[in-house]
Amino acid sequence: MISADSGNRVGPKSCRCSAKDFGNELKPKWCPGCGDFGVMNALYRALASVGRPPHEIAFVSGIGCSSRIPEYTTAYGFNSLHGRALPIAQGIKMAHPELLVLVAGGDADAFSIGGGHFPHAVRRNPDLTYLVMDNQVMGQSDGQVSPTSAKGAKSRGSTQGSLEAPINPVLYALAYGAHFVAQGIPADLDGLSKLIEEAIRFPGFAFINIQSPCITFGDPDMQVLVQKTRMKKLKTEGHDPADRAAAMELAQASGDVLYTGVFYKNPNPPPSYGSLIASRQRTPALEPSDALA
Amino acid sequence: MRGLVIGIAGASSDGITAAGESLINAFAQEGYFATLSTNPGTQIRGGDVFCRVRVSTDPVLNSGGLLDLAVVLDWENFSQLSGELSVGPETVVVYDRRSGLTASALPLGGVRPAAAVAVPVAEIAIHAGAPTQARESVVLGLLSAWLRLPQKRVLEALVSRHKAGGDPSPKTYQKAFADAVAYAKEHPLGRAIALDPAAPPEGKRRVADGNEMCARAALFSGCKFFSGYPITPASEIMQYLQREIWKYGGSCLQAEDEIAAAAAVIGASYAGTKAMTATSGPGFSLQTEVLGLASAVELPMVCVNVQRGGPSTGMPTTQEQADLFAATFSSHGDTVRPVLAPTSVADSFDVTVEAFNIAEQYQTPVVVLTDRELAQCKAVLEPIEPSQFRVVDRLEPTKAELKRYARFQITDAGISPISHPGMRGGNYLAAGLEHDEKGAPTASGEIHAQMTRKRLNKLNPLKLRKDLFLFEGDLDAHIGLVSWGNVSGIAREAVRMARAKGVKVKLLVPRLLYPVAETIYEDFFATLRRCVVVEQSHQGQLHRLLRMWTQTPREFMSVSKSGANRITPEEIVRLIQAMEQPATDRFRSHYCDLLNVI
Repeated sequence: MISADSGNRVGPKSCRCSAKDFGNELKPKWCPGCGDFGVMNALYRALASVGRPPHEIAFVSGIGCSSRIPEYTTAYGFNSLHGRALPIAQGIKMAHPELLVLVAGGDADAFSIGGGHFPHAVRRNPDLTYLVMDNQVMGQSDGQVSPTSAKGAKSRGSTQGSLEAPINPVLYALAYGAHFVAQGIPADLDGLSKLIEEAIRFPGFAFINIQSPCITFGDPDMQVLVQKTRMKKLKTEGHDPADRAAAMELAQASGDVLYTGVFYKNPNPPPSYGSLIASRQRTPALEPSDALA
Repeated sequence: MRGLVIGIAGASSDGITAAGESLINAFAQEGYFATLSTNPGTQIRGGDVFCRVRVSTDPVLNSGGLLDLAVVLDWENFSQLSGELSVGPETVVVYDRRSGLTASALPLGGVRPAAAVAVPVAEIAIHAGAPTQARESVVLGLLSAWLRLPQKRVLEALVSRHKAGGDPSPKTYQKAFADAVAYAKEHPLGRAIALDPAAPPEGKRRVADGNEMCARAALFSGCKFFSGYPITPASEIMQYLQREIWKYGGSCLQAEDEIAAAAAVIGASYAGTKAMTATSGPGFSLQTEVLGLASAVELPMVCVNVQRGGPSTGMPTTQEQADLFAATFSSHGDTVRPVLAPTSVADSFDVTVEAFNIAEQYQTPVVVLTDRELAQCKAVLEPIEPSQFRVVDRLEPTKAELKRYARFQITDAGISPISHPGMRGGNYLAAGLEHDEKGAPTASGEIHAQMTRKRLNKLNPLKLRKDLFLFEGDLDAHIGLVSWGNVSGIAREAVRMARAKGVKVKLLVPRLLYPVAETIYEDFFATLRRCVVVEQSHQGQLHRLLRMWTQTPREFMSVSKSGANRITPEEIVRLIQAMEQPATDRFRSHYCDLLNVI
């Protein structure tokens, strides 16, 4: 049993799993060419490296194309309500701290209907890994604009185009005070799987914005085949991930430059929510009948 | 049972609620039963403060009707309190003479009380050296002497409360109290208001409100996770648990909103933990999406809705029973969730334990529909014997079942074992999407029909649970009442009063409101020619629910008032007497205003 304090930050592997142990026989209901396939494969690899067995993983998602992802893993999955994945995951983590808890969803799930939950998850800093598959469109409901669609962007479901400025997920997360903020792309499978592994190992709330393009409704210039040529690795750009101010500066380029890698990783992470909770709980605990004292 | 009803009103600095607390604690120690209602906070109600104490040698079923004794320190807002503190022709009014009013000029809306007595409350307090803070002690001194309460007990309660508040010098309070006692002895009330002596209590009685008893019941049931969002009048449940639940190895989350609170609760339940949220109407409206999810994924959770006046923000500090429709129906889709309602402060404990048991046994969300009156009313309660309660845990899969595990397996009872993350072999997908036995999402009509049947039929045994109903009165009576929640305490007293006058009548009080237990009602209705449902909502929501589900007696009426309008036992007695009369037109329509006709 791994103590609550260590949370997702797992040390030695507790299982000898390979990437294929995290996938099942189901054929994902995604369009061929969807970025989410890459995210799924990167996740399998990251989980194999981390080495927690599938039954010790709870994988929560909201509603949308990308939120189908728990179904395609062998972990415990909860394909829940649109926008509510984060609070559900926090309940799981608080009740059962030794689990590895992953959260996934799309950009509308994270920043539209669930937008009110995001800052609170960040400020509580529970030991969760949050993968947002940002495709700038609401794919499952026929391609309407989403909160990350560019201003003026047209789509099949929003033929007049967006009148609104897009949300900048990375800048939001940094501004809310997140201690681990990164961006990845499925085209760089190796980089993405390492990023997910690093996020899982981070002791606290870790956010990865994944530019996972929608092949059906998305921008042709953003697709998997071309995004690798557009990406700029933060590491090779010489960015210091301990420098939060520099990270915020770089995050402003969202929409113009496709940075990948760790924007910010607190070198001295504060105690996670789980460890604060554990320090408040009394051991040995009172008996239920003590409630009648 | 009648006992005494005492009301105290004043300005916010007068220590009115504190006086009420001291009184109920002293009554409890002396062996009396009592209830204490106060207004919950001047910041949401304006400057007026009141308390209402009903005391009796028998368990108190409700906080009573007209006052026997009214103590008024400040008249400014008294007229706004007419709902809570009603003065009648039998009431003795005692008031601070600093108001300068003569007995005949009191602003009582035309009511002539039995007596009106001016006393020097402020003067005694000034003389004791604490002009404002000591008024509470003066009131307690006067009441102790006039009601022949054990002064030592009242003083102890007073001093211990001040000590808890960090007050270093109890001397001023003691002096004010003693001077008031002396004054009262020299100036007996013109009319005898006294209590029968109480028998010494067996075991340690507790003074607590319904919210505290809900919270204690959660801990007793093994609840290890609570999440909520502050809301009147339910906040005290969260406040209690955020202080206590850690000691039991649990945790508490004050969420960013009620949706997140309910979502965290279902998450904790998914992780294998008993979990609860508590809210009031506005928060309950938000939580319905999660309650629907809990029905779909068959996860236990308890949601306490402390009803207040609605719709929307409504009347946060007042009593109403108008969330029954919301509790039963507010979810899209073909679904049923159990709704329970406590019938008294003490019953808030029993019903909450039962809610956890039903949630765990049937893998369903359960709504505990309590109300502002029960939630924030303090009462003297008998000790609870833990062995009287069973505590149910959810059915977990066996090792053999985990080899070929299907989370939503169709079984005869509709209940399939639940695994949780961490359990090897129990891995499954919980999906709000319709799913097959293994949890895989599906669009099959056949599977949808099968799963809907499973989720609804598994609750049918609840409809046979006679222990979730209270019965009172004559089995073969031709007239009967149905009542629920806090109002049932008023109906119970009224039925006892009517029977004492020789009327044959019976009363059914459901603690299980939904699913509607058709046969239990129909058995009750069998002897009835005339039945009235007494409740606190304009629409008469239980009345309508029963017409939807049961074969009702031919004359089946609703008597209901909107929230914040007190229903009194005396009114219900008059109603029962009218029901005895031969058929008249007034019983032909379901919704004539019977209370006004009577």
